[in-house]
Amino acid sequence: MAKVKVKKRLPSGRVKIVERRKKPKFAKCARCGAILHGVPREIPSRMRKLSLSEKRPNRPYGGYLCSKCMREIMKEKARSMG
Amino acid sequence: MYERDYERESEVDGMIEVGKVCLKIAGREAGKYCVVVKKIDKNFVEITGPKNVTGVKRRRANILHLEELPYKLEIKEGASDAEVLEAWKKSKLLKKLGLKIKPGKVEKEVKKVEKKEKPKKQKETKRREKVKEKKK
Repeated sequence: MAKVKVKKRLPSGRVKIVERRKKPKFAKCARCGAILHGVPREIPSRMRKLSLSEKRPNRPYGGYLCSKCMREIMKEKARSMG
Repeated sequence: MYERDYERESEVDGMIEVGKVCLKIAGREAGKYCVVVKKIDKNFVEITGPKNVTGVKRRRANILHLEELPYKLEIKEGASDAEVLEAWKKSKLLKKLGLKIKPGKVEKEVKKVEKKEKPKKQKETKRREKVKEKKK
């Protein structure tokens, strides 16, 4: 587990160096690589405490594809039907 | 930043008619089918599933968020949900698109009332029979 050193001021006024868990990278679209909106950048233990609707957008492929790519996939699906 | 999709706008311009079956391509209803009921203006139309058929409520939708399919239902402009449901039943699309009609709100309530009114049948077990005999 990668850790980061953070300076923290104690109640006594002393400054102590504290180790904290590093945050993971931003969630990215699987098709175009754009950063996904609405997906929090949190460590897994914090992520577990969130509700399902806080973790990803409520739409098909939410949290996996960006909205633009999802739209294109839906368009392809519609056009292949005819 | 929001960019206007001029290509898509020119594609869609004036193509959507009343009765067209469409696929929603944006938002949480993306991937669900709907029927165009009414034209509101250049950009907006009124659509409906109805909800118990496809899961899309009666609502206003931007034309850019719809992708039309090569199917059409025969309905009047401003048709009610019941009329659209009948049009779905008449066409053979329900099977083709893999849709199922779920019982609506009204039908569910009727079923609930029917259940309450029915008297519960007691199962005749050996123990109960013995008790009856003793009483005699």
